[in-house]
Amino acid sequence: MKHEEETLTTQQSLAIITEMILNTKGNLKSNSIYFLLWGVVIALANLGMFALIMVDYPYPYIAWTAAFPAWLASFYIGYRQSKRERVMTHLDRVSIWMWVTFGVITFTLMAFGKLINYQLNPVILLVSAIPTLLSGIIIRFRPLIVGGILFWVAGIACFAVGGPWQFLIGAAAVTAGFIVPGVLLRSKKED
Amino acid sequence: MFKDLDPLLHAQLRLAVMSLLLSVESADFTFIREKTNSTAGNLSVQLDKLSEAGYISVEKTFKGKKPLTTCKVTKKGIKAFEEYVTALKQYIQK
Repeated sequence: MKHEEETLTTQQSLAIITEMILNTKGNLKSNSIYFLLWGVVIALANLGMFALIMVDYPYPYIAWTAAFPAWLASFYIGYRQSKRERVMTHLDRVSIWMWVTFGVITFTLMAFGKLINYQLNPVILLVSAIPTLLSGIIIRFRPLIVGGILFWVAGIACFAVGGPWQFLIGAAAVTAGFIVPGVLLRSKKED
Repeated sequence: MFKDLDPLLHAQLRLAVMSLLLSVESADFTFIREKTNSTAGNLSVQLDKLSEAGYISVEKTFKGKKPLTTCKVTKKGIKAFEEYVTALKQYIQK
């Protein structure tokens, strides 16, 4: 950009404003790593729980302990990324807080799972629909929007079938809602 | 009667910086320099001017051993920008 003291016409002023605003579009970083990490962890936990129930293991929910290292990994990746990011858009901020809220809510649900007789799967699947669908809308990425809708459908399906089968639905939902969009997001070039 | 255009904003690089910062939450010096295609020296001077006027806040920290300058638009800056755009509209509608 040339020296700043040149006189600007109104048209030039408008052109600068428009150009700069357009410049910041498409900076929404694709956080495919989180979708892949959590997608795989949750899918495996669901399948593990299903398998353990099938073999009559007394503590099948032990499969969910896989979530703890995933939490640590997420914090670590988040920390590393925050050091690398050079710009944060308004939508980035909304997105981060939306997922943090989601994390806190699911964590709370898990902590008090006993009180709702460990019928966590349908509830968590339904709650997952919100950040997944909204993430899709924020970054204008249809697979995530579809994923969000599928979480909602899966939540209903879990309520309907109950029993160990809901863990298979959970694994399928998380594959469609996190893993598939995560893979597609990763293969997509950053805008 | 037309409003006078804020001289602080009616300058190419400062207007570019303000427009850029308005559309993000915060941005660092290198990002602004790349997007506005300016030189570090010139940008630094203009950022100081905007900061002195209270239009932006500048935070200087360290990222490892490298200095990191993060800029953010302030409420005063948003108001000034809105007034500038309103004044601009009046000129266009003339």
